[in-house]
Amino acid sequence: MMPIEIGTVLYAGAIGLVVIGIAGIVLSHHLFRIILALVIAEAGANLLLVLSGFRWEAIAPIISGGGATPTMVDPVPQAMVLTSIVIGVGVQALALSLTLRAYGAYKTLDIRELQRRMSADLAGEAGTPLPLSLEEPVGGRPLPAAEGDGR
Amino acid sequence: MNTIVLTVVLPLLAAFVVPALSRVSPLLGRLLGPLTLAYAILLTLQIWLGMEGKPYSVALGGFQPPLGINFYVDQLSLLFTFLTLVTSLLLWPWRNETEPRQYALTLLLAASACGLALSGDLFNIYVFYELISVASFGLAAATRSGASFAASLRYLILSGLGSVLALCGIAIVYLQSGTLNLAQLSQLAPETLNTPLGMSAFALILLGVGVKGELFPVNSWVPEVYAAASSRVSGLLAGLVSKLAVLVIVRLLVLLFQQESALQLMLILGLLGTISGELAAWRAKDMNRMLAFSSIGQLGVIFIAFSIPGETGLFAGLALSLHHLLVKPALFLLAERWRGSLAGLRGAGLASPVAGGMFVLLALSLVGMPPLPGFWAKFLLFTGLAAQQSVIYQVALGVVLLSIVIEANYLFRVVMNLFQPAGDNSVAVTSDHGWLNLGTTFLLSALLIAGMLFMGPLGAWLEEVAIQAADPVLYFDTVFSVSAIH
Repeated sequence: MMPIEIGTVLYAGAIGLVVIGIAGIVLSHHLFRIILALVIAEAGANLLLVLSGFRWEAIAPIISGGGATPTMVDPVPQAMVLTSIVIGVGVQALALSLTLRAYGAYKTLDIRELQRRMSADLAGEAGTPLPLSLEEPVGGRPLPAAEGDGR
Repeated sequence: MNTIVLTVVLPLLAAFVVPALSRVSPLLGRLLGPLTLAYAILLTLQIWLGMEGKPYSVALGGFQPPLGINFYVDQLSLLFTFLTLVTSLLLWPWRNETEPRQYALTLLLAASACGLALSGDLFNIYVFYELISVASFGLAAATRSGASFAASLRYLILSGLGSVLALCGIAIVYLQSGTLNLAQLSQLAPETLNTPLGMSAFALILLGVGVKGELFPVNSWVPEVYAAASSRVSGLLAGLVSKLAVLVIVRLLVLLFQQESALQLMLILGLLGTISGELAAWRAKDMNRMLAFSSIGQLGVIFIAFSIPGETGLFAGLALSLHHLLVKPALFLLAERWRGSLAGLRGAGLASPVAGGMFVLLALSLVGMPPLPGFWAKFLLFTGLAAQQSVIYQVALGVVLLSIVIEANYLFRVVMNLFQPAGDNSVAVTSDHGWLNLGTTFLLSALLIAGMLFMGPLGAWLEEVAIQAADPVLYFDTVFSVSAIH
């Protein structure tokens, strides 16, 4: 009974971390927070992967105590998690250095502002009119006055 | 025979040596990359001729699969290795003499793409895929403008999210079957992965790998990156990297997820991609973004093709992929001088008739004008779709026809614009394309014409490749045969 419950909790935790990470990426507007959310999601995926080799009350692989062969933890996912952690760190370092560059160019880490400046730059380079922003009404019409506006 | 490993090792080694070597001797640094790629191409051709159409498996480190990691060498993986090396050589950054970092990134891309094509293990595929990602983030940011940094950051975050999803999918596959060797999985999959959980693993991996393959919901990075990056990089990403993601998905479909729902998921995402991409391309106002959106649309068509069950779908999809790999980089290279608004291109074709003529040829092939290879590839797709009984495939047929109409509309609008006499109010267009871009485009166009002339034998050979790749039993037997090479 006990091992099943712990396993369920661990799986829920791993999937929960991925969900928290994805929510963070979708919901935050600050670039640094988005990268941190990506790290959290990666941690969740790594936990899920290492859990796939998890055995209750098993020993670490390689060290066998002799005597009756005890159950060992599956070493393959552990090797894979190590690899994927290393890859994750590399990608995070790259993300942070790109963030620094983007900050150097635009002096902001708000992704809405970054997006706006990037679109403006690209449109300026291509010589096309700016794409219509979703937050601005078409043709610069004034927003409909709210009720009780006094006008 | 295991010299095939050198196609991964040599470019990887060169990628690490080039930056240091360039400091000591700039000339050697400039020559090392192309020489390595040329040698790797020779090696690939030699192996290809030597294997006589029979696939084989290389056990790396001497451990036999499923314990060890293996490379699987068949005509499909060799084809993609060859195309990777040739495309990287054609789109080599010849002109950036002061930028050894770009050499290193291009070599890294080539090495990891070869590894991805040859790999016979799901986790190895993930690792090589991440290496490709890192190389392409670097290349996308290589323009060093603020817009390119912001665009590649967006690409990185989406791609990072994708790899998290793919890793979750891989974890589920491992949980269900206890192995990640593709050959062993191909035997275990019908029992262990033919479940809702297996299907969710496929969906996760599809979304993860689909980021590079410009699959529908995860392709929002495409227009910005292609608009901000140099034409060479756009050509590499749209032509080569997207096809490698498609290759991974094809291997998964053939070996692991044969169930009908997997094919249908891919078909629906492909349909949505086709519609959204072509409509966005129709509305696009500048050249690079138009090409980027049309690339999304064409990748959608390729996904539709691969969702047809059996080797018919594989054959049609391969033909479409090869055609897109040939045409898209050429169009991006032409767009190097013509980047900018479409309205400002009036008279550009008259100013440089050679480039204009090649643009017409490539556009005609992309739309699918009868004698050109593009028609042949789309014809294969039509016959494949029409042979399916299910209603959704008939809908797909209609959507692909509609996409051709839209494609013809926006491409011919550009062609009309190119060949209209420039008015007084139009922007002056420089006609100088640079001999390098023009030469490469000319080479690609010549290949296109050669493909048209030798359509018969080429088609027969491609069908043979597709039949070989569509056989999971052959895959299993090859990897686990006693004669597997150490």
